Amino acid sequence: MKINVNGVERSVEFDPDTPLLWVIRDELKLKGTKFGCGKGLCGACTVHFNGTPIRSCITPVAAVEGHSITTIEGLGSDDSPHPLQVSWQQLNVPQCGYCQSGQLMSASALIAHNPNPSDEDIDGAMSGNLCRCGTYPRIKAAIHLAADNIKNN
Amino acid sequence: MNSISPSLSVSRRQFLRASATASGGLSLGIFLPGCSSLGSSRVTDDKAWVANAWLEISASSEIIFTLDRVEMGQGTATGLTTLLAEELEVMPERITIKNAPVDNAYRNPDYGLQMTGGSNSLSSSWGQIRHAGAVAREMLISAAAEVFEVSREECRAIDGSIELRGVGKALPYGVIAALAATQALPSNPTLKQASEFRYIGKQNNRLDISGKVNGQTAYGIDTEVNGMAYAVITRSPVVGGKLKTFDASKAMQSKGVIDIFEIYNGVAVVAEQYWQARKAQTLLETDWEEGALAKLSSEEMFDTFKRAADTDEGEKVRDEGDFDKALDNASRVVEVEYQTPFLAHATLEPMNCIVQINDGKAEVWAPTQAPDLARIAVARVSDVSPSDVNVNVTALGGGFGRRLTQDFVEEAAAVANQANRPIKLMWSREEDTKHDWYRPASFHKLRATLNASNEVTGWDHQIVAPNLMDWYVRDAAPAQYPWSPKFMYNMLGTVGLALQGIAMPKDHTAVEGALEAPYDIPNLQVRHTHADIGVPVSFWRSVGHSQNAFYVESFVDELAHETANDPLQYRRSLLKNHPRLRNVLDLVAEKANWNAPLPQGVFRGVAVHESFKSYVAQVVELSIEYGTIKVHRVFCVVDCGIVVNPDIVKAQMEGGIIFALTAALHGEITLEKGRVEQSNFDDYALLRMNESPVIEVHIVDSEESPTGVGEPGVPPLAPALANAVFAATGKRLRSLPLKLS
Repeated sequence: MKINVNGVERSVEFDPDTPLLWVIRDELKLKGTKFGCGKGLCGACTVHFNGTPIRSCITPVAAVEGHSITTIEGLGSDDSPHPLQVSWQQLNVPQCGYCQSGQLMSASALIAHNPNPSDEDIDGAMSGNLCRCGTYPRIKAAIHLAADNIKNN
Repeated sequence: MNSISPSLSVSRRQFLRASATASGGLSLGIFLPGCSSLGSSRVTDDKAWVANAWLEISASSEIIFTLDRVEMGQGTATGLTTLLAEELEVMPERITIKNAPVDNAYRNPDYGLQMTGGSNSLSSSWGQIRHAGAVAREMLISAAAEVFEVSREECRAIDGSIELRGVGKALPYGVIAALAATQALPSNPTLKQASEFRYIGKQNNRLDISGKVNGQTAYGIDTEVNGMAYAVITRSPVVGGKLKTFDASKAMQSKGVIDIFEIYNGVAVVAEQYWQARKAQTLLETDWEEGALAKLSSEEMFDTFKRAADTDEGEKVRDEGDFDKALDNASRVVEVEYQTPFLAHATLEPMNCIVQINDGKAEVWAPTQAPDLARIAVARVSDVSPSDVNVNVTALGGGFGRRLTQDFVEEAAAVANQANRPIKLMWSREEDTKHDWYRPASFHKLRATLNASNEVTGWDHQIVAPNLMDWYVRDAAPAQYPWSPKFMYNMLGTVGLALQGIAMPKDHTAVEGALEAPYDIPNLQVRHTHADIGVPVSFWRSVGHSQNAFYVESFVDELAHETANDPLQYRRSLLKNHPRLRNVLDLVAEKANWNAPLPQGVFRGVAVHESFKSYVAQVVELSIEYGTIKVHRVFCVVDCGIVVNPDIVKAQMEGGIIFALTAALHGEITLEKGRVEQSNFDDYALLRMNESPVIEVHIVDSEESPTGVGEPGVPPLAPALANAVFAATGKRLRSLPLKLS
């Protein structure tokens, strides 16, 4: 089966019901996407499916054939980080960091569609992403900061 | 570290050992005296002089700091590196951080074990790491003086070079590192004054951010080794149950399965891919001897605790004045009962570990808080001796005390030992929730006596709870004596023997935070009735304080209302001997505008607590909306002595508050028929962003020594919240999580 991840088409050999998460991590070796719950409850495995955030731990790999998947590794680069990766650094958002790939994928989908989100918009888009370290206030602030940075550039 | 033989002899009283490295750099071992709290037996041999960190400066000026504490989000990597950077006169960002391997040299001087916990990294390293930085700086200055052929006074360290004052010539550290290694060790180098600090108190960046925003930080779960297979384990559904029989015939037919076999606590399924192992696991049939806890429910457990409270007065761990006399003379007695449930840690990265065993040696990759205990766990289930176990500590996706227990390492080692190939063991979220070593459940009776003028004359706090060390000592005792024969592990791992000459700190985990109740009450006793139901328990962020603050700070709030006092003023009046607690209380009152009225429908509560030598006061503002508690704002004032990284202190308070809100609003592990009822984030909920309040943190300016910040933000939150619920509803909720109906 062929899947397109971060703009690159790859052939993979997995049972079609295997969750996309394990194909991304164990076959494509893109380890930034994390396993947290396996039930779509924590958001650590969030990736973009044609630009929309999905939980890769409950998405069978067969369902993404022919569609475009973006992971944290495809969100930005060291030379050209995504504005959220910049604001995340500016505000020292991560603590243990384990959930942050998923947080960034949810947040980037939000501001792609809503460049000026309110607190309520952020709550709505981000409440599916758990953070055990409790970085929510900083995530919220960093989303606002990224939105401001984009506007002012 | 490629050290050539040390060029300087090491005397027992020297703090450092310098040597040249093979590549022409300077290598500096920092030796620290053992901590007196461990008793004199620890100071009898060379091990009592603990090297807890290493500094290496290469010829190309790379500065490598070996970190012997693990970074799990709490900021210790940044904090400790900043201490070194300050005295060494380099930007913290220029220092490369390397995780320490297992070595006696890296034992935590407070515990005699190589572990990260107890919020003590900064307090125990504050002097030593700065000292090490200063020694290296002075040796580099001496080396430069030799090269420049001037006196030391004409040289100064600045930004990674030694500069010849007023001349504009400078030598980068790397160029003179080898020469520095031959200089005499300064016995008492001057540490910088606070007024000279360039980074301490000013450094606000973390050093570990970039890999955490681009997905590159490698956690345990991200590690792979050549030839590894994936393993999952089916464990007893009942806590403490044992395997009777299993049938793997169907599961073995499942695609990708390599092997299925019994290990000490269940059945391991080994497969080429993780998902293949999981699919095969669903076809595995197991039959269990359910054991002693087969009928246990949480309700029955609390009944047992209550009976224990009635039949066993417990050990008086604090006894001031004469409570019985106060009881005889009381005009009124307030007597209440409180309880709190088991809690899971729920680190977002589930337990996982890789073990490779070859030719009598084991290589381990684990997200662990205690690498030397990991060594014991491997040795226990294999033929490898602890000294032949090498532990690679990966990044940790949260710790909170969960990764002090090495059960997941032991399992991976048992599977690898039998599978004859490297094994990556993975736990599901359900397994992580159901097979945790939990924050203990406990039951409490509190009594206060009041005299005719409504003053509190007596306080009696009876705590019914297990001792954590009863469980922890199993690995911790052998880890202190890794040379002991394996047949002794179980003997060492019993409390009686462990306490005979073995440096195990006295176990205050059940009573800490209640033992030190700070209020001026003339007749005060705290009692511990030891009760252990047989469910594994362990350290959980802020440990005993996580619940004892709830009891003490709720009960004192009850007394304030009983005596018709303002809860904050009442606390103040009883804290005459605790100026730092009173100070944080006063400050939080000011920041939260305690005396000003709140908007209609909004209510507030306060609590103050000392833990890990830090002082924290919090005010919670909430309202009750559609029958649920809606927390709007939390004000937090922390006094943790000198602050190294103000932004990390704030982050730890924010995180501690949210961690505590999860516990106070949602957290509950319950048992039915000996089975843990919760399984995933649907029935063991963590706070979500839409429930997360605005948090304002204020840090007290202080010149006291730095103290803990990873845990002290947790304890005051639950009581401040419960006290605010009382203000809102008139209902005193005496168990967690808080339930309005």
